Amino acid sequence: MNHTSDAAGNGGTFSPEEAAALLDQTTQEARRKFQPSPPWLLASRAVLVLAALGAIWLSVRGQHPYRGPTSRDIPILVGFIVLNFAVTVGVRRRATAGITGISRFSQGEIIALTLSFVVTVVAMAGLGGAGGHLATYPTSVLVIPGLTFAGLMAVRANWPGVAIGCSLLVMGIGGAFAGPAGAWAVAAVGLCVMLLGHAAVNSWQQRGAS
Amino acid sequence: MSDDGLDPLIHVPTRLKIVATLAALPQGDGLSFTRLQDMLELTPGNLIVQLRKLEEAGYLSSERTGNGSAQKTTVTLTSQGRKALEAYTEALRKLLGGL
Repeated sequence: MNHTSDAAGNGGTFSPEEAAALLDQTTQEARRKFQPSPPWLLASRAVLVLAALGAIWLSVRGQHPYRGPTSRDIPILVGFIVLNFAVTVGVRRRATAGITGISRFSQGEIIALTLSFVVTVVAMAGLGGAGGHLATYPTSVLVIPGLTFAGLMAVRANWPGVAIGCSLLVMGIGGAFAGPAGAWAVAAVGLCVMLLGHAAVNSWQQRGAS
Repeated sequence: MSDDGLDPLIHVPTRLKIVATLAALPQGDGLSFTRLQDMLELTPGNLIVQLRKLEEAGYLSSERTGNGSAQKTTVTLTSQGRKALEAYTEALRKLLGGL
């Protein structure tokens, strides 16, 4: 039995036990470094979204009639969106540096996702102009992007991604049954649960057997 | 293949780390030479030698893009390389009685 082969100069003597440990350690480390949505980021985002949207729900739940978030709430929401976007882009850029291939979004997919947000803004403005109540529901903004994301992930056969897109869709539609104030609570709890679930799945995948 | 079933091409610390790192990416995805070097903390010379051995065996493919100082090399684990790592992992499992 020769476990050294040309190991000399590349790590010295190498037993099967050491090989197993090195394989396990390298695999887990690589998965962690390549992960664009690390569990810690998703869990932090879950807590922040619950706090930000929950705070808005607390301030609007007593409104009769519903007038929407106050000028004091808007900076909380904008701050959350800006912080979330900046951290997500930074972490994703570092994780995917040097990677080419299918795990990166193609230009077409980026255009489709961007368009889904543009269409949402236009649709809500149109709906609001026509006096539609749904335009004031925070969960309505999740419907079109959720559907688009689920569709794109289905094409990639990325089933956890499809589940995320469908969760957004369900939250978007579910919020319509909770009323404009209740929709904030639906969004807060729904997004928090979805993000914690995503964190659990990613954590499990990272620790998965090599 | 050695008599214990461990592929001698993979059963070297540096090459095992290269193959395991590339296998952590989805099939078909490539990694730049510089990121791989950075992750494994290897000298360019050592990495080139090990990559060449793996490429000669058909375990990975490399692609060069750009010219001069802007030239970039991307390495990708082939399906043959992925199968070889699976077989290596299985051989280790058998040797150790469960990994």
